[in-house]
Amino acid sequence: MQSLIGVMLMKFVLGQVKGEEEEENTLEVRETKVKGKSGKFFTVKLPSPLVPGAKIRVSVEMVFTHVLQPYPTHITQAEKQFVVFEGNHYFYSPYPTKTQTTRVKLASRNIESYTKLGNPSRSEDMLEYGPFKDIPPYSQDTLKVHYENNSPFLTITSMTRVIEVSHWGNIAVEETVDLKHTGAVLKGPFSRYDYQRQPDSGISSVKSFKTILPAAAQDVYYRDEIGNISTSHLLILDDSVEMEIRPRFPLFGGWKTHYIIGYNLPSYEYLYNLGDQYALKMRFVDHVFDEQVTDSLTVKIILPEGAKNIHVDSPYEINRAADELHYTYLDTFGRPVIVAHKNNMVEQHIQDVVDPAAEARMKVACITEQVLTLVNKRLGLYRHFDEAVNKYKQSRDISTLNSGKKTLETEHKVLTSEIASLQSKLKTEGSDLCDKVSEIQKLDSQVKELVLKSSVEAERLVAGKLKKDTYIENEKLHSNKRQELVTKIDNILDAL
Amino acid sequence: MAEHSGPDSGKHKANHANANSAALLHGRAGAGTGAGGLSGGLSQPAGWQSLLSFTILFLAWLAGFSSRLFAVIRFESIIHEFDPWFNYRSTHHLASHGFYEFLNWFDERAWYPLGRIVGGTVYPGLMVTAGLIHWILNMLNITVHIRDVCVFLAPVFSGLTAISTFLLTRELWNQGAGLLAACFIAIVPGYISRSVAGSFDNEGIAIFALQFTYYLWVKSVKTGSVFWTICCCLSYFYMVSAWGGYVFIINLIPLHVFVLLLMQRYSRRVYIAYSTFYIVGLILSMQIPFVGFQPIRTSEHMAAAGVFALLQAYAFLQYLRDRLTKQEFQTLFFLGVSLAAGIVFLSVIYLTYTGDFANWWGVYAKIHIPIIASVSEHQPTTWVSFFFDLHILVCTFPAGLWFCIKNINDERVFVALYAISAVYFAGVMVRLMLTLTPVVCMLSAIAFSNVFEHYLGDDMKRENPPVEDSSDEDDKRNPGNLYDKAGKVRKHVSEQEKTEEGLGPNIKSIVTMLMLMLLMMFAVHCTWVTSNAYSSPSVVLASYNHDGTRNILDDFREAYYWLRQNTDEHARVMSWWDYGYQIAGMANRTTLVDNNTWNNSHIALVGKAMSSNETAAYEIMRSLDVDYVLIIFGGVIGYSGDDINKFLWMVRIAEGEHPKDIRESDYFTPQGEFRVDKAGSPTLLNCLMYKMSYYRFGEMQLDFRTPPGFDRTRNAEIGNKDIKFKHLEEAFTSEHWLVRIYKVKKLDNRETLDHKPRVTNIVPKQKYLSKKTAKRKRGYIKNKLTLKKGKRPNRKTV
Repeated sequence: MQSLIGVMLMKFVLGQVKGEEEEENTLEVRETKVKGKSGKFFTVKLPSPLVPGAKIRVSVEMVFTHVLQPYPTHITQAEKQFVVFEGNHYFYSPYPTKTQTTRVKLASRNIESYTKLGNPSRSEDMLEYGPFKDIPPYSQDTLKVHYENNSPFLTITSMTRVIEVSHWGNIAVEETVDLKHTGAVLKGPFSRYDYQRQPDSGISSVKSFKTILPAAAQDVYYRDEIGNISTSHLLILDDSVEMEIRPRFPLFGGWKTHYIIGYNLPSYEYLYNLGDQYALKMRFVDHVFDEQVTDSLTVKIILPEGAKNIHVDSPYEINRAADELHYTYLDTFGRPVIVAHKNNMVEQHIQDVVDPAAEARMKVACITEQVLTLVNKRLGLYRHFDEAVNKYKQSRDISTLNSGKKTLETEHKVLTSEIASLQSKLKTEGSDLCDKVSEIQKLDSQVKELVLKSSVEAERLVAGKLKKDTYIENEKLHSNKRQELVTKIDNILDAL
Repeated sequence: MAEHSGPDSGKHKANHANANSAALLHGRAGAGTGAGGLSGGLSQPAGWQSLLSFTILFLAWLAGFSSRLFAVIRFESIIHEFDPWFNYRSTHHLASHGFYEFLNWFDERAWYPLGRIVGGTVYPGLMVTAGLIHWILNMLNITVHIRDVCVFLAPVFSGLTAISTFLLTRELWNQGAGLLAACFIAIVPGYISRSVAGSFDNEGIAIFALQFTYYLWVKSVKTGSVFWTICCCLSYFYMVSAWGGYVFIINLIPLHVFVLLLMQRYSRRVYIAYSTFYIVGLILSMQIPFVGFQPIRTSEHMAAAGVFALLQAYAFLQYLRDRLTKQEFQTLFFLGVSLAAGIVFLSVIYLTYTGDFANWWGVYAKIHIPIIASVSEHQPTTWVSFFFDLHILVCTFPAGLWFCIKNINDERVFVALYAISAVYFAGVMVRLMLTLTPVVCMLSAIAFSNVFEHYLGDDMKRENPPVEDSSDEDDKRNPGNLYDKAGKVRKHVSEQEKTEEGLGPNIKSIVTMLMLMLLMMFAVHCTWVTSNAYSSPSVVLASYNHDGTRNILDDFREAYYWLRQNTDEHARVMSWWDYGYQIAGMANRTTLVDNNTWNNSHIALVGKAMSSNETAAYEIMRSLDVDYVLIIFGGVIGYSGDDINKFLWMVRIAEGEHPKDIRESDYFTPQGEFRVDKAGSPTLLNCLMYKMSYYRFGEMQLDFRTPPGFDRTRNAEIGNKDIKFKHLEEAFTSEHWLVRIYKVKKLDNRETLDHKPRVTNIVPKQKYLSKKTAKRKRGYIKNKLTLKKGKRPNRKTV
């Protein structure tokens, strides 16, 4: 339940609601509209309905982009950067607020001015407003702080992330990044002498930043249209590859640059498969620098030639564009390319996107496939046993029959229990296939009975307790019955 | 690889010479006696021979390719130097916009405000070749970036050059010499200097086209077949499309024909070859837009036309001689000659008057124009660079030439002329070392091949009776065939036998060893030169620390990329012309002048702006709509190729066009020195280039032993440390100060004065009392009306 304050300046990016009782839970948040009010509103679904009079603690994390406005907008190399923050003194909500304290934490101690509603207390880099009591719903009052902030205001104005999956076991990632320093614009000359000799010259400029790449990243390259950018360092850590990126030139306010960074990843870390079905699990956006802001992002996933039935699962809403075709390395009919866009992203968006098959569906498919193989194996066991019986009939050696029986019994047991466990799994997945599997189990037990019967009869025949004609008749009957059951099972399997 | 290919090839060659002579002997023995006792181990020499040749050529290609990759391995796949950047940019344009768009390309980013019609002012062969390769690869869905195609084009073509050199030398001498020549040309520094990976320049493919055209020409003279001549014309067409050096071909081939006529070696083959070549070649060459009608208008092509006419006349006379009596023929001959001479004389006078032969003597005058003289590669060649580029070959090629002249035939006349003219041109200009290199390789190969033949192929010769040998040779040579049997030196047999017998096996092996040593040293030298001298991209500089680690100075790209990203898309950048192509290619900004130095006055204007003082320069820059000025300054890191060191050329070129405003002598001290310290001339110390180079440099102390403002390139403390700009401001300086970019400010709305305003209506405090009497005062008006002109301003507050 959060809205926009000062619609012109702020953009709501991410509402993540956490219930804080014993454990942290992320709550379900959905955007809604409130009649007659502008701004964005969200409904939050609590895990359990709140009894009147009961309490719950909810913490809301919001990230805003492009909220801090540099003021003055143009500074010289020697000057420090000041910004204005505009916000709301009150908690903007459709409910009355009983009591409220607003704390503003600033980047520095140097505060030029701030709104003085309710005589806020100020300590170091912290401003504390309130406590305010009994605030009516939808109340607004502009909070304004003007203070020094020399942190680099880097923005990724646009970024294209291309993920090329190769079935040779490699995933190539290439990011084309347009960077801009969106802080106060540099006015007047840029003096290299001052920049080199005076430590506080160009204090808000960006010399370098760190990009964290996946730990398995190999063959990292960092270049632009005119070649390799020789000013970078690569540090291989245990859990990541850290790349210190220095643009060709320091970025002052208003300056921009453009570069391409790429690396290879082994596909076994990201690509999962089952039979002919593959799932790629990768981050939709990856780290470029700390507290990154991406204005517009395009992700392209190039799948191997011939990939079909593509399905994308994303942790948040993305705009899928029409799929494209990409030709490379002697391709004949092209590789499918999934294209997706998203605007206005921050660090919190670094989450996985799954592709090509939805995981839940994948799981079901995977289990049914396992069931299929197991059932087939079981049927195979009977055939084996039949062979053993035949052998016994010829050789009249009781040991072969017994050992055959034994193996049948044990393996049948194992397989049946495995199928049963899969069946229960299917149940948890909520699939209707579960019933079918139980039917198979029933039919199978009948088949087993028949098989054993025939073996007993064979025993009797060999022992001379049974006449040959009756045995043959019985055998025919049995086999017919068995055939029937097996075709039934096969039909069910096909339906799976 | 490269290090070993030389001596290796020598050995192969030696083996090969054996095989060759064995084959010859075998053939002869079979014909003469019918008992082939010699064939022994080599059951099928021809098969071995072609396998060996193929392997050697392949290895030569590989060695040539890989020894050109130093720069790519050390740095990256990047375009080098200056001109290649333009070639790359236009190839990129070709690849992304198509061929016709490229032919019609008007580049508004060059020569502001004039622009440049690129399609009509380039030799498109290089771009089309690279574009075609790129297109074919992309058709096959092999995604190769056009940059990589451009970078690796020259090394790939070096292999083709080796093969065409092999073919040409084989036509001239024998297959062994051909293989040696192929190995030489693959690794010789004189050619590598223009064809390392990244050096995407016309010469890279033109040498191949040159050699291949010559091969086809020799082939067509030998056979007299129209087919070969047409092939030759097509190859010539490719050469014309690739490089301005095609003029060399169109002069050398007529010269060859002319000399053949003089030597009484006229034959129908020559007539067919040259007539076809001239006509078809002329028409084909005129299809290149940049060449256009030059082949029938300029002096460089007139020799070809003259020889063509002469050949027709000669052929006609030959025809007449068969038909007429001697008396009639003589009168006709005299009449014809005098008539022809008169017509030629008159037409030349007429054409010169009408101005069609504008460039008649222009070739020679060009050398004295400062803009051409300012290019380092247009300087005369020193002996050092002959040795540096050719090493042992420069010593051995006269021997090869001597062998050729000794055993002269039609095509050896050609190679002799080729050698002589190339030596002359290489002496005139460093750049033309390139045309000398192939012929030196061929002739040296012939010399080496000969020596090896003498000193390695002894066993075979002794077994074969020499008398039979000679008679066979003569029989073959006599029936009208003017050509030598390949692989056989024409020497009197008894003489040959004497020299052979005078040499013991020891001497033979010593000589062979020495030769192999020489070849090995040649290979080592080639690799060393390639690695150290010719494999620097010059866009990226590298310096080495004491511990061997490498620092990369990437200042050029830093500054160019800054321009590309942080200036207006249509910003105009003024710089000296050297950097024009790089600015266009890497920064993608409009330039005023660039390396295509076609407009001298425009360059002179830029030179004038650089060498004037700030106010005068500002006027020029405003008239040229300059937004940024880019200069190269090496004083911080000691880079010697910077703009202050080039500055005198700017002054000279500016003086050429504006002698009233710029005088070279002003920039020297009275002693005639060019110095940047306090003793330097004040004109220099206040000119724009000086100020831009040293702005705020006076405050900078590089280390404790030197005073602040110490220029490492010129080893002097600068003379003007207090530099202030009025119309410019520093926009960007790269990390090592190598590139400095200044922004030209727009005119202020209200100009601020840099001095205190002069107050004119102040009445002095103490009134001046004249000692003169009233009568003597001149111009004194009595009862003059005094007007009060407002309040006197307080001086202190101003």
